[in-house]
Amino acid sequence: MQGIRLEGLTKHYKRGGEIIRALDGVTLDIEPGEFIAVVGRSGSGKTTMLDLLGLLLKPTAGKLFIDDVDTAQLGDRQRAQMRARKVGFVFQEYNLLSGLNVLENVMLPLRYVKNGKDGKQHAIELIDRVGLSDRLKHRPAELSGGQAQRVAIARSMVNRPSIILLDEPTGAVDTETAQQLVDLLKRLNREEHVTLVLVTHDTDIAGQATRQIRLKDGKVLTDEKVEELVPVA
Amino acid sequence: MEIIRNVARHKLRSFLTISGIVIGVLALTTMGAMAENFNALLNGGVAYFGQNVQVGPPDGQSAALLPLSKIDEIKAVDGVAAAFPSYGFQAKPGAPPSFSFGVPDSIVAGDPAENDWAGLKTTFASGHQIDAGSSGQVVLGSSISKEFGKKVGDSIDLPIRPVDARPDFVNHSFTVVGILNVTRTAPDNFAYINTADGQMLLKDSLPIAIRDQVDVSKITQSVDVYAKPGTSLAALDSIANRINSQVTGVKATKPSETVNAFKSGGAIFTAITTAAALLALIIGGLSVVNTMFMAVAERVREIGLKKAVGATTYNVMSEFLLEATLIGLVGGLIGYGIGAAITIIVNGTTPPGQSTLFLLTPALTIFAIGFATLLGAVAGVLPAWRAARLDPVIALRNE
Repeated sequence: MQGIRLEGLTKHYKRGGEIIRALDGVTLDIEPGEFIAVVGRSGSGKTTMLDLLGLLLKPTAGKLFIDDVDTAQLGDRQRAQMRARKVGFVFQEYNLLSGLNVLENVMLPLRYVKNGKDGKQHAIELIDRVGLSDRLKHRPAELSGGQAQRVAIARSMVNRPSIILLDEPTGAVDTETAQQLVDLLKRLNREEHVTLVLVTHDTDIAGQATRQIRLKDGKVLTDEKVEELVPVA
Repeated sequence: MEIIRNVARHKLRSFLTISGIVIGVLALTTMGAMAENFNALLNGGVAYFGQNVQVGPPDGQSAALLPLSKIDEIKAVDGVAAAFPSYGFQAKPGAPPSFSFGVPDSIVAGDPAENDWAGLKTTFASGHQIDAGSSGQVVLGSSISKEFGKKVGDSIDLPIRPVDARPDFVNHSFTVVGILNVTRTAPDNFAYINTADGQMLLKDSLPIAIRDQVDVSKITQSVDVYAKPGTSLAALDSIANRINSQVTGVKATKPSETVNAFKSGGAIFTAITTAAALLALIIGGLSVVNTMFMAVAERVREIGLKKAVGATTYNVMSEFLLEATLIGLVGGLIGYGIGAAITIIVNGTTPPGQSTLFLLTPALTIFAIGFATLLGAVAGVLPAWRAARLDPVIALRNE
């Protein structure tokens, strides 16, 4: 089955003598092409869930299947390969490399996959699609926050992943820019059929997703499809 | 390209780090070239003395004089294939002492046929060997010919008259018939004459009181003894033992003792010079370790990002290792370049006739640059390992 399945996914941390239940037995199915907003208060487990989905963390218990692959069976190298091929990341702070220009930043993930040679053309197309074709050779320091985040979005898509994980992607830009970024994400979601899982505190942005998952104390409090309420433009 | 940009990102820091390597490689190149030069000289000695048995007067005899008749006795010893009389004199008597790694200019008299037996072969840059039975001919080594600006056909007075020579100082005119190719060892400073001329110089060198009482035509200073070509050092030692036991009034030196003395001298010199240079280079390597740790600390988020987009532990480690290796390589190339330039300039300004101080060899070049590069790589291992083991979740959210 294509898509992502979380079965009792759990992540506990030890802090001193105390056990922190960052994610506590979450079971979910994520269909290909969904646009999911994960909301909840600080400490509810949003970021931990994103890190687990992105294979940056290993769960304490439970299982995570990505496109029918049980990720618990993968070694570190295979996890890195799956991360490179199937997962894209967008962070609040953009995380662009200051020494690389826009094109080089977008092409960065191509280094870590085989057969990435035709990626340059794809990277240029993506930069065009995020509206920065005139900024190919610019360094991150020469971009506005919104532009930098669009570069980060293009970078997240360059390996044609099946899922993009976005951690507060609009947290560092103004409202107008944030909406432009969300419009871009919705368009890419619609055109590329790529699954988006977006962590946000912003209820306006969360409301534009097709599904909202609310976490509390590491558990799923609510899981609602919202396309009936806010149709995708 | 990114690796070069990362190194260039902190120009001053990279410059200082690379400078540490440069100084180390510079020291290694110059010290190593000095050791190579010294070893070339000693290797010539090993090649020469490892192929024959030197026979001189017995211990306790003050004058280095032997009856020529001893040669026949020596030839009768089992294993001896040839024996030649040999004479040696200062080419520049009375010259002020000077420090040099080379052999002092000397006049060597012997049978030209000995060159066919000698372990250290000499070849001619111009001219030819001394004619058998001739008199007044000389073959000059490369350094001594340059020192006195002589070429084939010129004449030279030997020994060279000192500036403050006494009125009774005697020397003789010789015609240069051959100039040898460079050997980087003793023959470069030798003037070769034939046996009869050697006996003439021997007479000149004797005290006036006994000069006319000695028939120098029946005297030699030493005898060079040869076995069949290809005879081992141990077999030559046995021949020396047999000469000592069978021939009275002579002392045969075991060639292994001479060879070992040369080798141990070379090994000690090489060890001292190379160790000093390596120490400087290793200190330079420590600065690479420090720089790479700083680079890792500054680029924690970058490492986290790269892991998030699919970099493996191996990928991250490789990138930092390559960076450290590049620092080592650049430092090695610059250090070697400066060191090589210094050796060339110093050698070029060495007065004619004095031995040059440095010898750059392909082995030294490969060692100096290769060691610097390897040192960079080794210095990068620990920082690269730390970078590669960073937890991406923590790295990505590093402030």
